Amino acid sequence: MIRSDLGNRQLLPAYHNSVGWLVMLFALCTCAFTGCGNSKATYKPNDLHAASLTREGSDLEPRGVAKAASALVEQWFGSLDAPRWPSEILGGELEAVRMDSVNRCAGPVGRGVDKVERGVYRKHCVSCHGLSGDGLGAAAMLLEPYPRDFRRGTFKFKSTPIGKKPTREDIHRTLYEGIPGTAMPSFRALEESKEFADDIDDLVEYVRFLAIRGEVERRIIALHVREGVALDETSEQLREVVRQVVEKWSSASSDQVTVPESPEFIHSPIKNPQEHSELMQKGKSHFESELTACVKCHGTSGAGDGTSQDYDEWTKDWTILAGIDPKHPSDWKEMKPFGALKPVLTKPRNFHWGAYHGGKSPSEIFKRIVLGIEGTPMPPVARAQNGNPGLTDQELWELVYYVMHLEDRS
Amino acid sequence: MISDVKFNFVKLWAWLAAMFIFPLIWVGGLVTTHDAGMAVPDWPGTYGYNLFLYPLSTWLYGPFDLLIEHGHRLLGSWVGLLVIFLCIAAWKSETRTWYRRACLGLLGAVIAQGLLGGFRVVLDERTIAMIHGCGGPLVFGYASFLAFASSRDWKHANASIHSKGLWRLAWILLAATITQLVLGAQLRHALPGTSPVGFMSMVHLHLTFAGIVTLVILGVYFLVRTYPYASEPGLRAPANALVGLLILQLTLGIGTWMVNYALPWSETMPSLARYVISAKGYWESMLVTAHQATGSLLIAFSTWLICRVGRRQIALARKPDSRNIQVQPSAAVKL
Ligand code: HEC
Ligand code: HEC
Repeated sequence: MIRSDLGNRQLLPAYHNSVGWLVMLFALCTCAFTGCGNSKATYKPNDLHAASLTREGSDLEPRGVAKAASALVEQWFGSLDAPRWPSEILGGELEAVRMDSVNRCAGPVGRGVDKVERGVYRKHCVSCHGLSGDGLGAAAMLLEPYPRDFRRGTFKFKSTPIGKKPTREDIHRTLYEGIPGTAMPSFRALEESKEFADDIDDLVEYVRFLAIRGEVERRIIALHVREGVALDETSEQLREVVRQVVEKWSSASSDQVTVPESPEFIHSPIKNPQEHSELMQKGKSHFESELTACVKCHGTSGAGDGTSQDYDEWTKDWTILAGIDPKHPSDWKEMKPFGALKPVLTKPRNFHWGAYHGGKSPSEIFKRIVLGIEGTPMPPVARAQNGNPGLTDQELWELVYYVMHLEDRS
Repeated sequence: MISDVKFNFVKLWAWLAAMFIFPLIWVGGLVTTHDAGMAVPDWPGTYGYNLFLYPLSTWLYGPFDLLIEHGHRLLGSWVGLLVIFLCIAAWKSETRTWYRRACLGLLGAVIAQGLLGGFRVVLDERTIAMIHGCGGPLVFGYASFLAFASSRDWKHANASIHSKGLWRLAWILLAATITQLVLGAQLRHALPGTSPVGFMSMVHLHLTFAGIVTLVILGVYFLVRTYPYASEPGLRAPANALVGLLILQLTLGIGTWMVNYALPWSETMPSLARYVISAKGYWESMLVTAHQATGSLLIAFSTWLICRVGRRQIALARKPDSRNIQVQPSAAVKL
């Protein structure tokens, strides 16, 4: 249960009137009845990560480890209702999130006396992504794919290579457009109304904040379990983790991959059927070539029915990497008490339906093919560069053309 | 019995109160849909102003969440006023003592609802919001009962057959619709830290009760159409209305899931694969809110059915030639 921090919402003068005493009396009764006020929203420790790391070759108690790590991270990044930035470790130079935005998104929902709306994350995102950004919001179990766990710091739809962080624009695009065919909504309506126009920008900062915090938490759990580093606030090794994670986020925009200029045939529809079928032939040969292996997953017809099936990284994290077989319920259910959801195979996209999760513009599809989709089996395609074998830009655009024209337009 | 003055003010105010509680529930539902419960951080005032003196331009043209929250409070006070009028009218012209008392009871219920709403804000407590959200439809059901009890059918109901089965079914329906509403409120007011397992169980329960309500309404519908009830025209209207509402409600329920969480079969149909949820879209939030508002209509209509069946039971019990027919004891109290 959430209670307001009275700092934001000072009781206003109008409240001090004759009904005041009545209010209090009734409040007390209601509280006694509902048992309110005895729980505060807090970050959930990353039990699942601790459990998968300690599962083999460690006799540490996972919940205890997760709790200690969470407490340490709280010293650096603050509590759920009062976030902070560890500038004592980072100094002034590393900027990765705007804290005024983070502050506005954190905490319980509502306007303060200043009429500024707060708790925007809890208002719009918490039912799926959870208070801690662990993807374990109330509705999580009922959705497929599951809501993103931000704490791994892995994002699917971005303009940076595998292993690099998404840019602000990438996350903004996801929030603005939503993800078709999944539960991830489009928040376009916010940006289009003037009083909520800043919400998406602020939420982007908060997602970055939760991702940084969550990844630091994961990494210090790993250091503790694997290398026995004590979970101590002064430990230089742990502080270095904070620097490394933040550094990755603040440098993300320089890792952005530029999409080469697209050829004429991508923009203007080709009326000549001969020319069209020639392009489709070329695209098909790239699609079916051994080099790209697209058919392995997406199937010869592109219906997403290839032979290769696999889990995503969020699942492998606590299954395969922890020596658990995700296919066997008796196996993976062992992790259920730590917050594991049933492992579900990641489905390769069916191109006949033209439902692109990362955006349907040619340049977005180009990015997905060239960069892969991080966290999923979808690999980056080999690009012909510096004498390496792979597809040239022209061939890549032919592939994009082919994929886009697999859509049934009937 | 209902007074025979030319113009029945009790009836007027009772109907007006019920008719205004419905939009009140609707706006209250919007407040929940938009999570606008704390859009005004103080209570009973609004940003330090008296509720009624809060400058029009600030909320009418202000942010949407402030508009609906403040509007909900204003509408609530308006309903309170209507119920006060109802009490005055009942005291002047209503001859049934229990009805007069029931009017006071309604006033008490409306005030309690107002206080609950207030505490939800003062304490910023989501659990109270949930209780307040359940209370609204109950008050609506209560007010509709008073409206039905002031109607012509209440007074002139006549019956020739004994309707014990229907009577039971009507009460089961009321219990089921109320349970269903409370379950729905658990979903709409899920606390931010609710566990996925808890939420999923609630969803499953909500679906189960949707099935139960459907079966009971269909049961009522077929019962009033078969012998011997078929000879009672007064029972058809509530039964038909319930079926209509049921169809509407099931559709709205599926729609609500779709605009909140998308349908689970996105792999089976291109239109679902391409569907993007539009968060806080105008029509989307109207649809979700309509689902909860229709839930409270179902409660009111079950009450209507109970009134109609009950009055016929009583009329029958009072017929001199029907003393040998057994009547539910609870209905036999002198009304
Ligand atoms: C109704 C459930 C739901 C809500 C509400 C929701 N999301 Fe999501 N979100 C999802 C799901 C499901 C995914 C995973 C989609 C996928 O894996 O393709 C997702 C994915 C994401 C991603 C990852 C995109 C990527 O590139 O990997 C981000 C970032 C995100 N959501 C942010 C938000 C924010 C911020 C909010 C609130 C403003 C929000 N979401 C609200 C369900 C939701
Ligand atoms: C190892 C399996 C695998 C291979 C090989 C593979 N893909 Fe994918 N692909 C996937 C999966 C899985 C997804 C869905 C990822 C997700 O969103 O969860 C996907 C998604 C996509 C998307 C959809 C992007 C979007 O925005 O929705 C495109 C386009 C795509 N793949 C093209 C290709 C092309 C072209 C190739 C060959 C160069 C290829 N894929 C090779 C597994 C694969």
